[in-house]
Amino acid sequence: MTDPGSVRTRSTTPIRRGRTAGALASVGVLLAVSGCSVAGGDPIGEGPGTLRVVLPEEPPTLEPCDASLTATGRVTRANITEALTERDPSTGRLEQALATKWTRNSPTSWTFTLREGVKFHDDSPFTAEAAAFSIKRATDSDIDCNVDGYIFTDSKITAKAVDDTTLEVTTAEPDPILPLRLSFVEIVPTTTDPDSRVREPVGTGPYRIDEWSQGRFLRLKRFSGYWGETPDYAAAKYVWRAEGSVRAAMVTNNEADVAIGLAPEDGAGDRAVEFTTNEVSYLRMDATRAPLDDVRIRRAINYAVDREGLVTAVFSGRPSGQLVSKGVTGYNPRVKPWPYDPKRAKRLVAEARADGVPTDTTITIIGRTGIYPKAAEAMEVVQDGLLKAGLKVKIKMLDVNAWLEYLLRPFPKGIGPTLLQAQHGNQAGDAAFTMGQIYGSKGAQSSYGTPELDALTKQAQLASGDKRQKAFADAFAHQNDEVVRDAVMANMTGILALSSHVRYRPDSATNDEMRLSDMRRADRGRS
Amino acid sequence: MFTMLRRRAVSSVIPLLVVVLGVFFLARLTGDPANLYLPLSATPEMRAEFSARNGFDQPLVNQFGDYLVQVAHLDFGESLRTAQSASGAVLRAFPATLQLAGWTMLLAIVGAVVIGSLAAYRPNSATDRIASFLSSTAASVPDFWFAIMGVLVFAVTLGWLPTSGTSGAAAWVLPVTTLLIRPFGVLVQVVRGAMVSALSAPYVKVARSKGANEVRVVFGHALRNAAAPALTVAGDLAVGLVNGAVVVETIFGWPGIGKLMIDSVLQRDFAVLQAAVLLTALVIFALNILVDICHAILDPRVRQRAAA
Repeated sequence: MTDPGSVRTRSTTPIRRGRTAGALASVGVLLAVSGCSVAGGDPIGEGPGTLRVVLPEEPPTLEPCDASLTATGRVTRANITEALTERDPSTGRLEQALATKWTRNSPTSWTFTLREGVKFHDDSPFTAEAAAFSIKRATDSDIDCNVDGYIFTDSKITAKAVDDTTLEVTTAEPDPILPLRLSFVEIVPTTTDPDSRVREPVGTGPYRIDEWSQGRFLRLKRFSGYWGETPDYAAAKYVWRAEGSVRAAMVTNNEADVAIGLAPEDGAGDRAVEFTTNEVSYLRMDATRAPLDDVRIRRAINYAVDREGLVTAVFSGRPSGQLVSKGVTGYNPRVKPWPYDPKRAKRLVAEARADGVPTDTTITIIGRTGIYPKAAEAMEVVQDGLLKAGLKVKIKMLDVNAWLEYLLRPFPKGIGPTLLQAQHGNQAGDAAFTMGQIYGSKGAQSSYGTPELDALTKQAQLASGDKRQKAFADAFAHQNDEVVRDAVMANMTGILALSSHVRYRPDSATNDEMRLSDMRRADRGRS
Repeated sequence: MFTMLRRRAVSSVIPLLVVVLGVFFLARLTGDPANLYLPLSATPEMRAEFSARNGFDQPLVNQFGDYLVQVAHLDFGESLRTAQSASGAVLRAFPATLQLAGWTMLLAIVGAVVIGSLAAYRPNSATDRIASFLSSTAASVPDFWFAIMGVLVFAVTLGWLPTSGTSGAAAWVLPVTTLLIRPFGVLVQVVRGAMVSALSAPYVKVARSKGANEVRVVFGHALRNAAAPALTVAGDLAVGLVNGAVVVETIFGWPGIGKLMIDSVLQRDFAVLQAAVLLTALVIFALNILVDICHAILDPRVRQRAAA
């Protein structure tokens, strides 16, 4: 390339030099000034009184009526806001929270006695009126509260303050687990906007919101007017990193005290703490389409899945035979995981083939990327087992929204027989939140049900106490022995990283509700 | 110059409309957001109410018409996820990416000019071979791998840098280096190639015969002519930084537009996605026009063609 103008020996005139220098200076100043604005937004070095927690994602809001959403609930529940009751995830028992007593007056009416001397973060008193307001806001508003769809669905519920400490709640239909459902309704003062979601709520919890710098961090401060035991940490700072290995590295590098949502390969090393979650992985079979409409094929699939191999080599967990974990009302200890028996699987497929079942029809595994660690590899293990049993299987991995089209009714048409990779976590602690929607003939997530199983479920839903436990346990046994709609795989294990400065014992609810007051400073004596 | 700018601005309108149209309709082909935003146990009535409340029950053409009217009033709607204004979320995230990309391109261009020129000054010398090897390697390294290894080596093992975040100058080192490495490698190769040609051109010999010192010959004469192809490639690489920013922002927890965009795609947060894509497209068009202006400043023939 030649340029006649370039032969001049003084190609850079003073004017041009000045322009270039000016441009460079402008860019430098712009970048430096703007750089400071980001750099100043995420202070570290909060001191030993601050608990530093790193989450996989920033909460979209801290709206209390969305507290059944994991990303929101793990920050909000039992930290910023509280409910009338709370469930102990270890024992399954319902404990007192803002209510100290509850009695069932009739099949559709309950009376709650509320705790006295409780204040909201804005210093206003907690009263029955606030409780009634919060229940109405969560269950009967235009906010699209997550808790309404998750816990109450069709239930109609009315709450009325009798006096400051007495609340009367009535339901349209008999509801023996109403106090359990109310453990999901976080209580807010009557000054809260009833018509739209709030990002920074006022509650009665041990921590109040101090500062939320969006995209960067959220800091909570201990609430000096809290009615309960004073937590160890004066403040908590949440940050979020999407990459698991970075979250683990933050704990090993002493940038954070707690990191959650880790996989075994994230490298938390001796800082990793494993705990059993309430999530259960399973394969949902579309039993309305051949060859899956033949129970021998569904049994063969169960025998062909190497559960021990999966939890040893692919993801962390414990082989399971039912969709709820220990501690949930309805859990049946007699329902065991199906054994890995490839010969039996092969024999069942051969029997069905001999009887004219079209076993050469291709079955599609609908997988979901990232549903749990190594989700695609897990489906390849399953595919291998089924191919060896004599079935034709292909895998289709989807992102969450495309996968939801297959999970929820109405299902896509013209797709042939499918096995859906799924995971269910019964956060509420009662099998009613599993059976109807997942195994009911018309359940939102159900691909197949039977009138017998529907009847067992209905009977269990109306029972209470020990009868309820037994009725749901019978329903799980019936599904496992007779219906065989699913190949339940494993009760999944969670991993968090914990620094040596903190004492904390995670439980099955930790992923959904991480109580800061349960986290203790290691430099203080054990209480 | 003004004519050229006007032509470029007019010719950018059609691609901009295609982007807006494409994002609007393609996003809506990927599933019903009600499935994602409501609990799995929500009733069909709840889903229908959600769709009606957010206008998703209307025919797509009507939704698009409403969207265009809103955009004309600079109203980009509300985020389904955070219940905040979509434009607010985008404007909050954009400066963080702009700073990251600005520093990256500044360092990549300065570094590439110096190293590429040194390599071209004596072709096939040891300096040239080392520069070519390192630049080829840099241009080929996957940024995701580099970022994770950077965290493991410099944060976890050596403890020199923080793993992530935006706190202090040290926190910038790994994100900027990760984003920088590929454009730097590519630019070194481009600058070297262009400079080798330029340094063997007759006007360089004339300059030397007139007694110009070597610094002036290399950076004053040859580089000015070699800058045009490098500028074109730098413009493309700057546009491509949006892709790299997704990886860097995801790994290092950088609150920028790349992470916001990928999150809004995964969450089917249409309003935020549309606002983010529109703003990014506008910035890319502005960047292209800026590159054209720089071309015109560097090369009088471009100015003459534009004036013609």
